[in-house]
Amino acid sequence: MTLTAKGVSIGYGDERVLEDVTIGVETGEILTLVGPSGTGKTTLLRLLSMFQRPDSGTVAWKDTDVWELSAEERLGVRRQSSMVFQEPSLFNAPVYENVMYGQRVRKSWRERIRERVVGFIDDESMSDSVQTALETVGMIDKDGQNALSLSGGEAQRVAFGRALAVNPEIMLLDEPSSNLDPRNTAVLEDAMFRAKERGVGVIVATHDMNQARRISDRVGFIYDGELVETGPPAQIFDDPTDRRTKRFVEGELLYDMDDSQTPSTPALE
Amino acid sequence: MFLPLLTQLPDNGWTYILSTILVSLQVSFTAVGLSTLFSLPVAVLVGFTDFPGKRIVTAVINTGMGFPSVVVGLAVLLVISNSGPLGTLDLVFTPQAMIASQFILATPVIMSISLSAVESVEQSVRDAAFAMGGTDVDVGIVVIREARYGIITAILAGFGRAISEVGSILIVGGNIVFSDGQSYTRTLTTAITVEARQGHYEIGFVLGVILLVLVFGVNGLGSWVRSKGRGERSA
Repeated sequence: MTLTAKGVSIGYGDERVLEDVTIGVETGEILTLVGPSGTGKTTLLRLLSMFQRPDSGTVAWKDTDVWELSAEERLGVRRQSSMVFQEPSLFNAPVYENVMYGQRVRKSWRERIRERVVGFIDDESMSDSVQTALETVGMIDKDGQNALSLSGGEAQRVAFGRALAVNPEIMLLDEPSSNLDPRNTAVLEDAMFRAKERGVGVIVATHDMNQARRISDRVGFIYDGELVETGPPAQIFDDPTDRRTKRFVEGELLYDMDDSQTPSTPALE
Repeated sequence: MFLPLLTQLPDNGWTYILSTILVSLQVSFTAVGLSTLFSLPVAVLVGFTDFPGKRIVTAVINTGMGFPSVVVGLAVLLVISNSGPLGTLDLVFTPQAMIASQFILATPVIMSISLSAVESVEQSVRDAAFAMGGTDVDVGIVVIREARYGIITAILAGFGRAISEVGSILIVGGNIVFSDGQSYTRTLTTAITVEARQGHYEIGFVLGVILLVLVFGVNGLGSWVRSKGRGERSA
C-alpha cells in the first residue's frame, strides 16, 4: 500500500474519534470511506494528510512511519499527496494562480520571487500540469477569473484541479461533491476516474451511497470511529457481512438519510 | 486660495517647507514600514496559535492603540538619554529617535487591525495551503495575502497615527531646524505648532494644507487599491 493508517486511534478529551483503524490505499485505485457524519471519516483523512499525529498507531507512506521522519522529510512525503475539502477553500486570486499554488510552494524562494516579478510585468505562463488539471475539470476557459466569483460547483472543480496539478500519487477528498448539483458531481467523478487512470490513488469520504457504488474499487464503512468493514462495492452494498453495515445501507435506502437525522443510529447500538 | 500666502514666505521658505515635508515622510514611512514588518508576523502568530495568556496579549495590543503620545515620547527619551540603557547610541534629538517613538505608536494600531483581518481568514483556507504542500511559512503568507485588504487598512491607520503625531516627536526629536531653513527633526506637525505659537499663521496654514493633502493622498491610494480588490472579487 502507498499510504496506510495502521491501528490509528485519536480522541479529543474524553471523546474517542477513531479507534484502532487500519486501512490503506494503493496508487491507481479509488477507495471510498462511507458512514454517517461525525463518525470519523474527516479525522481519518486529516491523519492521512499529516495534519495531526495519531494518539496511537502509525501513518505510513510506503511502509515508513511518517511521524518518525524529520520535519523536512515529512514535508517531502506530504508533497506526494494532496487534499480536497468539503468547502472549496480557494484563495482570493485568479483561478490559474489557485491551481498553480501547489507547484509554486515546491519551488525555491529565488524561483518563486522571479516568477512573481515576471508575472507582474507580463502574464504568467501556465505549466503543462496546471493546464491539464484545468482541462480535466473543465475550467480552462475561466483560468483568469477570480476564484471567489465562481459558483459553488465551479469552485469545487477548481479545488480538485488545484489538488491534481501537483501530480500527486494520492489524493484525499473529503465529501467533495456534497454541496454540488448532479452535473458538477458528474464532472468531478469523471475527473476522479481520469486521475485514477493516470495512476493516482484516490480516497473519497462520502455519505452518498450511490456515488460510492458508482466510483469505488473498494469501500470502507466507518461507524462510530471504527472501521467496520472493507470490501468491493458489491459486497458492502449487496452482501455486507457486518450487521451495522447492513443496517446503515438499509437505513440509507429507506430514509435517504441525511446526516442530521440518522434515525437508525440508536438502534445500531 | 493659499497661493498669496506662499508669496509672503521668507527667503528660505521653500527650503523650509520642502525639507519639513521630507522629514515628515521619511520618519513616518520608515516607522510604518518597520512597524508593518514587525506587526504582520506577530499578528499571524497571535491569530493562529493558542497559548496561555492569549487574551491578555490581545487586550494589551488593543489598549496600545490609545497610548498617550507624550508618555511614549517621555519613555523613549528616558531609554535613549545619556543615562538610559541606549544612551551610548546618541539618539536624542535625531530622526531615528522620532522613528522609534512613531514605531511604538503605530505598532498597536497596525497590529490590532491586522490581527482582526488575519483572524477573519477561514481555517479551511489555511488547511488548503497546508494540504497543497505548504510549510508553516507558506501558510502564513497565504493568510497575509487573503487578509491583504484589511492589512492595507491597518497600514493606512498606522500611517495616519504616525504622520499626525506631535507630542512624542517634539520630545525626542527636539524640533530642530538649521539656520538655512533646512529641517533636521522638524516635521509638518511640529512645524505647525511652532509657527502658530510664533504667530506665523500663514506658513502654519500652508503646512496644514500640505499635511492634509498628504494624508488624503496616501488614504486615496489605499482606497484605490482596496476598490481594485473588490473589483477583482466580483470580476
